[in-house]
Amino acid sequence: METFEVFRRSGHKSPFEHCGAVIAGDPEMALLVAKECFLRRREGDHLWVTRRSDIHSFEDESLLEIAADKSYRFAHAYRDVVKKRERARERAGKAGAQ
Amino acid sequence: MSDSLVALVTALADDELVLGHRHSEWTGFAPQIEEDVAFSSIAQDEIGHAAALYGLVASITGDDPDRLGLGRDQNQYRHAVLCERPNRDWAYTLARHWLYDHADAVRLAALTDTADERLGALVNKMRREERYHLIHADTWMQRISQGPMDGRTRLMEAVTETVPEALDLFEPIEAEDDALKQGWLPAPSDVLRARFVDETSGALEDLALPAEVRSHLQATEFVASSSGDLIDEGPSESKSSDDKSSSGGRSGNHTSDFGRLWSDLTHTYRAHPGASW
Repeated sequence: METFEVFRRSGHKSPFEHCGAVIAGDPEMALLVAKECFLRRREGDHLWVTRRSDIHSFEDESLLEIAADKSYRFAHAYRDVVKKRERARERAGKAGAQ
Repeated sequence: MSDSLVALVTALADDELVLGHRHSEWTGFAPQIEEDVAFSSIAQDEIGHAAALYGLVASITGDDPDRLGLGRDQNQYRHAVLCERPNRDWAYTLARHWLYDHADAVRLAALTDTADERLGALVNKMRREERYHLIHADTWMQRISQGPMDGRTRLMEAVTETVPEALDLFEPIEAEDDALKQGWLPAPSDVLRARFVDETSGALEDLALPAEVRSHLQATEFVASSSGDLIDEGPSESKSSDDKSSSGGRSGNHTSDFGRLWSDLTHTYRAHPGASW
């Protein structure tokens, strides 16, 4: 027996999302029981199962931490751009008039 | 006129109710939690089909669907004895589930051509769920028949033992001649039984179960298909070849196993007449 992770799609335009896991002997059996465990109440229209052992991840989670200042990757770091641009236009206008 | 339609639909409904009740006895006890949920769900489907079929009977006779399901005496039920047998172990439950759902598939396929539109519509709805039941049963059968010796042996014994009672699912219903004449039932029971035998012996061969498991089926195949041929010459002759089974569950003759099931199934209905939920 193996653990299978179950992914469910709530509508045909939605992405598959993880919704739980089942224990089963093989993928076909996992799908059969997952249907009754996770699609009992019209929660979606499609299911995937995949062996948990087929999912790859990071052994060292600390690699995923953001250590230094990465504020430049966020929109809030650019809030003053509009003002800066206005000032730049002003300066450019004055230079043209001279 | 519609009596034979009522008899036909009642037999179908009683099979689904009684087997659904047996299936539901696994709730909390199935081999795995996932299977517990899946099998309980199948039980709910079967009982749902029974409720819909009783609804159809009620609309014809003016009766109450709850009374049909829960308010009749034991000898008024028309299910096959197979459905009332206790669950015993998972091997027996699986063998019965597999044989029953294949038999059900055969008769529902035939009933898509019924002359009664309401029954036809209901059958089409039921078949959508029965497709899953069939895949579920087939998948389990494949796994156990290809698995370790212990499970394989227990499954073979269970199938061998269950086959004779499974064949009685095709015991003629009451007033079958009229049901055939009116077109409610598009094919006689023994023709359906021959189809069932043909299909399941092929499936057992595919599962590579030893020949002796199929021997019961194949022994009957000869009788069933020859009586199926007789049907064309006259229905009276086919009846006489069915003497043994014409006294079974379809005529209201049940075993003490049903007595216990019935008292459990109908307990609340009898204790609180007219209650609703």
